[in-house]
Amino acid sequence: MKGRFKTLAVALAASCAAMGAPAVADNHAGPTMNDLLNDANSTGDVLTYGMGPWQQRYSKLNMVNTETVNRLVPVFSASLGGEKQRGQEAQPIVYDGTIYVTGSYSRMFAFDAKTGEKKWEYNARLPDGIMPCCDVVNRGAAIHGDKIIFATLDAHLVALNRETGKVIWNKEIGDYKAGYSATAAPIIAKDMVITGNSGGEFGIVGAVQARDVNTGELIWDRPTIEGHMGTLRGKDNGISGKTNATWEGDLWKTGGGATWLGGTYDPGTNLVYFGTGNPAPWNSHLRPGDNLYTSATVAIDVDTGKIKWYYQTTPHDGWDFDGVNEFIPFDATMNGKKMQLGAKADRNGYFYVLDRTNGKFIGAHKFVMQTTWADGIDQKTGRPNFTSDGRPGAPTGADKGEVVFASPSFLGGKNWMPMAYSQDTGLFYIPSNDWGMDIWNEPIAYKKGAAYLGAGFTIKPIADDHIGALRAMDPKTGKIVWEAKNPAPLWGGVLATGGNLVFTGTPEGYLKAFDAKTGQELWKFQTGSGVVGSPVTWEDGGEQYVAVMSGWGGAVPLWGGEVAKTFKDISQGGSLWVFKLYNQ
Amino acid sequence: MTYRRRAFLGGLAAGAGSLALPRISMGAPLANVRELGVLRVGLYTNNRPWSWEEGGKVMGIDADIARAVAESFGVRTDLALFPADEEVSDDLRNVVWRGGLLGFRKCDVMMHVPFDRTFAAQEDQVVILAPYYHEGFGAACSPGMAECEGTPTEFRGKRLAAEIDSIPDFYLIGSFGGILRPDVTHYTTGFEAVAAVKSGEADLAVATDAQIESALANAPGEGKRRKGPLPAMLSPGWDIGIAVDEKSRSLGFAIEEEMDAMMADGRMAEIFARYGVTWRPANAVAPNA
Repeated sequence: MKGRFKTLAVALAASCAAMGAPAVADNHAGPTMNDLLNDANSTGDVLTYGMGPWQQRYSKLNMVNTETVNRLVPVFSASLGGEKQRGQEAQPIVYDGTIYVTGSYSRMFAFDAKTGEKKWEYNARLPDGIMPCCDVVNRGAAIHGDKIIFATLDAHLVALNRETGKVIWNKEIGDYKAGYSATAAPIIAKDMVITGNSGGEFGIVGAVQARDVNTGELIWDRPTIEGHMGTLRGKDNGISGKTNATWEGDLWKTGGGATWLGGTYDPGTNLVYFGTGNPAPWNSHLRPGDNLYTSATVAIDVDTGKIKWYYQTTPHDGWDFDGVNEFIPFDATMNGKKMQLGAKADRNGYFYVLDRTNGKFIGAHKFVMQTTWADGIDQKTGRPNFTSDGRPGAPTGADKGEVVFASPSFLGGKNWMPMAYSQDTGLFYIPSNDWGMDIWNEPIAYKKGAAYLGAGFTIKPIADDHIGALRAMDPKTGKIVWEAKNPAPLWGGVLATGGNLVFTGTPEGYLKAFDAKTGQELWKFQTGSGVVGSPVTWEDGGEQYVAVMSGWGGAVPLWGGEVAKTFKDISQGGSLWVFKLYNQ
Repeated sequence: MTYRRRAFLGGLAAGAGSLALPRISMGAPLANVRELGVLRVGLYTNNRPWSWEEGGKVMGIDADIARAVAESFGVRTDLALFPADEEVSDDLRNVVWRGGLLGFRKCDVMMHVPFDRTFAAQEDQVVILAPYYHEGFGAACSPGMAECEGTPTEFRGKRLAAEIDSIPDFYLIGSFGGILRPDVTHYTTGFEAVAAVKSGEADLAVATDAQIESALANAPGEGKRRKGPLPAMLSPGWDIGIAVDEKSRSLGFAIEEEMDAMMADGRMAEIFARYGVTWRPANAVAPNA
């Protein structure tokens, strides 16, 4: 173990030395693992989801800055075409003069980075009758060597030749007939593609899987529900946790905990960090116990596929909070001590800082207006102080249950959209939402044609002037340094840059730039449809570029109610927008 | 027996009366079906004894009713099996009035839709009509289980079976202070839960009447039906009907007429009997109801 750590450290140092070097002329072989590890420092490309294995979404580029951003203008806009104008949540990948984007409905596009001309398009052939639970989005691709890899709605992982768009390999990572799907961007560690899983169907079990990037063959599989056996190179590799320790009966067999948002990677500790979804069934009174490892972050050793540590943000989740949010490694000095940390802004409304080497709780602070379910996180135990009346009740079947108001709503204080961390300001920029829900037991409910005990939800705003709020969080103090409110719920990722800027999009259609220190809005551009993708930046020919996908969709428009007033008039779309500074 | 039309006319019925509304063309959807020569029917997949696939053929009570209706129209059937979404409301959207986001074509009619006034009032995009069966929950036991007719607290320590995420599941793991929870094994369907009793894997299963009767008749092994009702059961039972798009009510009425005829002349009961199930008329159409 020690030896391996050392080798990696050397590799990291070597790649750091090359940072900032201009893209070499012959890139036919494509980016190597070292190139991917160095992505946070290489400014001429965007090779990974999150712009580096830590996914801080930070670029030190500063040509576009607080002084110049008012000259930021579009270079081109490229359409994803067709009728599939819905839900563009992808982050672009930029390499060797090409921009790769995934589109909704399991599509991938390659565009010329300078002109926007389409080089190729790939449409996954999805089975007839497939009905994915949670919209048709895709969040991005991974690049490695000659391959560009993405996951499809029928739970396949597809590796395409990045120059031709032709399939190199295509592997099933879950059975769509059993309810599995896939929408997250894969990550790459040690020449393995590492993915989570997703599915809305009852009975699915979360897992993290590593595959050989060249063949797609499974190397290890790690279930994220206790009691399930993992595998390593086809052999049993120990069960996750201890069977029935935090679950009763056989409920662990169908416990949920899907890892639907993917993970982050820390080469230093040799760990990948994956968030896990909520437990099943939805009625928490039927499953006493913490229900590990649902609504948690699990740290898995990249080589052994074993869980090294876990931290559960919502033990015994009864609000459908999930714990899938990204865990972003960062280094900081806390109380005079240099520490290897990680941060997560959870659906449950709290921002957590943990020691990323062992999962030890450092601190947690509220980043939304209101959390009715808990009154803070206990500084000693790291567990939430549950409120006495905050948990939805157990259904009786007799009549409509008592209405409980819960905040955040089940769509979360922050949903899928990734936050950013600026190495200049030391702040995290969280795309958050202030909303609550009325939740009650619904005795007149039906499922699969039969009587059922369901839950009724109504999501509603909790403030007069906004739902969305981009918030700058100081991870050392837990203080919100600034916030920028938005009428509609925020649903896009964030980018921080060395130009003292923070970029994010709004459902109202704007890509916006804010002063990273003050939150002052400095620039905005109307893209024609809601922005729910994640912006990126790179340099080419001495100029800094910014790109983002536009195309309203995702989970928000699937839910109506009072919240819908803020977005019901937004048009769908599907375009890549690329910007640079206008020079007279 | 004669049956009255009992459609829940969705949002329109709640209005000031149909006279105040623009006249809806009653001809087109039924005429379309006749012209195209095919009736596209939405059926739950893996929902034995109602609809399931076996050896490349769509089997089940709902499938056979659909075939009989199509035959009376002189058209063929296009039986579309679809997976259940979170709630029936989602299924109606995917199957009846909008279609799937990924190209699942909406159907002319969906079978096995709960016929319930409160539920129908929430579903203003569809018309729910033709109630054709009354369903409820019960239990099946292994032949030697002495406590079969006892109170559920006596089931403690027995091997209990239920379909995952269903009322039988919630009943067993949630009622009686949760004391039965450690004894429950979950199955994908109620039919499989009852089949597990017959194969000796389980002592008692809670499932729907149709699942119990069909599995007792057709799954291998021995088993018996609990005669008494289950105390504190979470549902008193419900009627089952069909749904068509709110704009296709002429088709819905034509199907309802044919299904009424099938109920009156014994063909309906005969289809149920093929699968070992006793036909129970819906409460909504039961004589003297």
